[in-house]
This record gives sequence, structure tokens and C-alpha cells, in this order.
Amino acid sequence: MKFYTVQVEERRELGSYTLLRYRWNDGSVEPGQFVMARAAGYPVTLDPFLARPFSFYDYDGEMASLLFEVRGRGTELLDLASTIEVTAPLGKGFAIEPDLGRAALLGGGIGVAPLKVLGRRLDALGVPYDVFLGFADAGFAVVAQEFAGAQVATMDGSVGTHGTVLDAAATLEDYRAIYSCGPNPMLAAVKLAAGESSICQLSVEERMGCGNGSCNGCVVPVRGGGYVRSCVEGPVFRAEVLAW
Amino acid sequence: MRRGAGLQGGSSGVVVDGRTDGPNLAVELCGIPLRTPLIPASGTLSKEALGEVEGIYGAMLPKTTTPVARAGNPPPRVAETPAGMVNSIGLQNPGVERFLQDLDAFDIGVPILVSVAGDTVADFGALCERLAEDDRFSAVELNLSCPNVECGGLAFCAGPASVEEVVASCRSAVSGKPILAKLTNEGVVENARAAEGAGADGLTIMNTIPALTVDARARKVLVRGGLSGPAVKPVALRAVYDVSSVVGVPVVGSGGVVSGTDVAEFMLAGATAVQVGTASFVRDPREILDEFAAYLQEVGLGASELTGALRDIRPTMTGGRADDILTR
Repeated sequence: MKFYTVQVEERRELGSYTLLRYRWNDGSVEPGQFVMARAAGYPVTLDPFLARPFSFYDYDGEMASLLFEVRGRGTELLDLASTIEVTAPLGKGFAIEPDLGRAALLGGGIGVAPLKVLGRRLDALGVPYDVFLGFADAGFAVVAQEFAGAQVATMDGSVGTHGTVLDAAATLEDYRAIYSCGPNPMLAAVKLAAGESSICQLSVEERMGCGNGSCNGCVVPVRGGGYVRSCVEGPVFRAEVLAW
Repeated sequence: MRRGAGLQGGSSGVVVDGRTDGPNLAVELCGIPLRTPLIPASGTLSKEALGEVEGIYGAMLPKTTTPVARAGNPPPRVAETPAGMVNSIGLQNPGVERFLQDLDAFDIGVPILVSVAGDTVADFGALCERLAEDDRFSAVELNLSCPNVECGGLAFCAGPASVEEVVASCRSAVSGKPILAKLTNEGVVENARAAEGAGADGLTIMNTIPALTVDARARKVLVRGGLSGPAVKPVALRAVYDVSSVVGVPVVGSGGVVSGTDVAEFMLAGATAVQVGTASFVRDPREILDEFAAYLQEVGLGASELTGALRDIRPTMTGGRADDILTR
């Protein structure tokens, strides 16, 4: 896997999350795509050994940004680094459905990340949408300020509706286009709540080894049996494809 | 490092096939000419990633194929460990018929080796017979050491008798093409002798090492699988070194290679070619080849001259003879 060394141009704390920005001029970024990223220094840093997958939070044609939570050594080092290493954009992002009326965007926790760049794309296409975001607590919910007009829910009730993102959304049945990213149990609930005639796309979260389809580590179960790779066939899937 | 004329230009900056005055990267494995000694370890290079690898590998080696499709193991399948990772994929693959339909995708102008596995000796034999009809590949690697399947897998490496049985069965099924037996670290010297005795033309040493990761907070097993990555390199080096000193067939080194120096170490320890696996998830393997070429340039040797070319006397369990010690 080819990694590119880039400077961190901006680092911002958004409550419990960190936002990193770097310059990316080497090809387009589709909403829902991801990169494998790590602090620079390989091969000195054999621990952590693997890079980490991150959905693009935003991309304006010049600057790309990633949103993450420090959860272990890999993200700790990433949080401190002034130089990072990233792959080219990977995976299959959201297929934009511009003709299905008002869209619903649902994000849970760090799964809010790809909704920012998706919103940017929908804005450009003139597609109206509503944003629903769910978080564990107020610390994580700080990032919601970056999503104008978002309906927010927190599990501890400290901000917005007390409950999950689906409690913030009330009903999804009126939406024919639904885009969602979050923990897999949340995505399964979104799939259930989505109207039968809707096109519901889910960006899954899986542990990854390589990010380019080689290791078969990041699979998700699909209807009809078997598994597909979330890094190549996904990370965005049509809801009906997944065996959840 | 001095950069000779032969090292300029080209995407990897190296010279292949022994032309000009750059380092000669070519080796020969079981009679198959390889333009570099690097081979992707089975199951670590998808066809989607082939666009990035032109000129790096001396041979192609797709993921292990089995007689019928396998869904593989349920996730989680991978867990990171210090300087490595544990995987339990479970030989997910579409089965040999579909594999052969898709094989052309792996034709990037270098010989193709095919990795096979089955639950039983009969499976291996049947698979080899099916493959024997196909002339698009140059050799077969018998995966006798997958730690992540219920049947077969590592059990074939339980002892020399089972190694001998499965290799002999494949040997008679595939005539005219080299077969390599891919062995696990455990009992590797005896198993290597048995494989050679049963007609293996070469040996791949080694597979992942059985390993476990635990999530202490959830109090759950995270992944029970095989460990790969630089953490296993010294184990693999020792296995290659010990095996190559007792067999006459070529050894392909595999286990934890992440740099050009690692490639050199495996070849010095006795390997004819070297597999790059997990490293290709975290590095561009072209950098590994470039580093290896730089090493060859520095020491003034060609790749094929490196195999077993350690300068020191091989240390033995008895400490060596007095006259050996005096010649150091």
C-alpha cells in the first residue's frame, strides 16, 4: 500500500474529537470514502504497526480533513503528529441520489464524520436534507455545531433529545434517500426504521488490516450468505445488501 | 549510496534481468526465472491492489484456493499486536473453478504460483489434478499450515508422516510443474525433510504462528488466529536457516519481512526467494525492493549470490569444533 507524507495544516479540538486538516491535490474524494492514516515515522514505529481507517470528514478540493477520537496508541500518536502518512482515497462512497427529494443524514458518534463532506456534496447539487446526530454525551456532541440545523440526541441526555439518533429523528418513513454512518448496531436500527421504498445507504465500521482488499479482514455479512470486504465493496452499502 | 547509471529512471529505480551495471535482482526458483526475489505471500495481495505493484515481484501468488468456495470466518478477523497482527480469515475464497476463471487478472507478466488447500489429502490431490490441466501458472504452493480452518490446515504439519502423504499425493497429480510445501514453524525441520523426501521441489518457510488476542475489558477473545508481521521475523529466520542447512531443495522465506535488509537476511540465512505479506499493508513494497537493490549495490553482489552466503561458521548445538573456531 502506498502512503503519502503530508503536513498537518490545522489541528482543532472539537470537544472529545480531534480534527486534522491536510492538503490533498492528488485526485478527487467521494463522500463516504476513507483513508488509512498514521503518524509519520514508519518503519521506526513498528508499534503501532497498522495504519487506521478514517472516513473523510471534509474535502473542499484542496484541503482534506479527518475527524477522530483518541482511543489507543495509533490515534494518540496521530493526535500529536505534525506530519502524517495517508493513502489515496479508498473504498466505495455514498451513491448520491439527487432526485429522491429531501434526504436524511444520520450519524452516530465518530460516524458523523462522512456526513460533513456528504452535506457539502448535497449542497452543491441543491439537494435538501436533514441531519440527525447521536452521541454518548455532551463532550462528543460538540462536533454537532459544525452541522447547521442538526437534530441532536445524547445517550445521557446532556444535550438535545435523551436517547439515540433515531429518537432525534422521530420517523424516517418520509425520506426516500437515507445516508447513515455509525456503530453497526445503530446502522441495523436505521435499516429497520427506514421506509420500505427508501434507498438507504449505510457506511459500516469494521476493524481493518490493509484497506485495499488484500487481507479480507474487514468483512461484513451479506444477505444470501458469505462476507464482503468493507474496504473495497464498501464501506458504504445499500442497507438491503447487509445481513443485519 | 552511489547511484550507478543503471539505477536511474524507472519507477522503482532498479535493474532487472541482469542488464547493465545495476544490481542483478534476478534469481531462479525451482527452475523458474524470477526477475526479483520478491513474491507476495498468499492472501496478502488482492487483484484490486495489482495496479500498484508492477515491476516489484518476481512471481505472483494469489490467495489460497480450495476445491469449493469458502465463506471464511465471522468477524472480527484481524487484531493488531505489537509489531504485527493476528488474523483469522479462514481461507475465504470463491473455490477453484471461479479462481481459474479469474486467474488472468493476476497475469502481470511474471510467473504465477498457485496456493492450494484442502480439508483432506484427497482434496489436495483432486485440486492438483484439476490445476494440472491449466498451463497459465508455473508452480503450486501447498498450504499445509493455515491455522484458521477446522479441518486440514495446520493438521497437515502435525508430523512428517502427514506431510509426506499429502506431498506425495500432490506430486503424482502434478507432473512437470514444481510444487512447494508451505510449512508451519512447529516441527519444521522434520516436516521439511519429509516434504523433500516425498518429492517437493521447494519449501515455503513459514506460515503465521498460532496466536490469540484478548479484549480484557469485554472479557472476550478478540481474534484466535495466526500472528504475522515483524514480530515473527526472528522465528521465521531461524526456521529458514535450520531448514536450508538440511535440505537440498530451495527455500522461500516468509515471515515478517518489512525492509530490504530483511530480504537480505532471509536470503543470507538460506532463502532463494522471499515473500512479502503483511508488510504490504503498511508500506509500498516498491520501497522494500529499492532498499534491497541498494543493499546489493553496497555489498557488490547479485541477488542470486546471496543465498546462504553468511560469512560466519554456522553455530551448532555443541559449540563447533576447535578448528572451526580457530579459522574465524
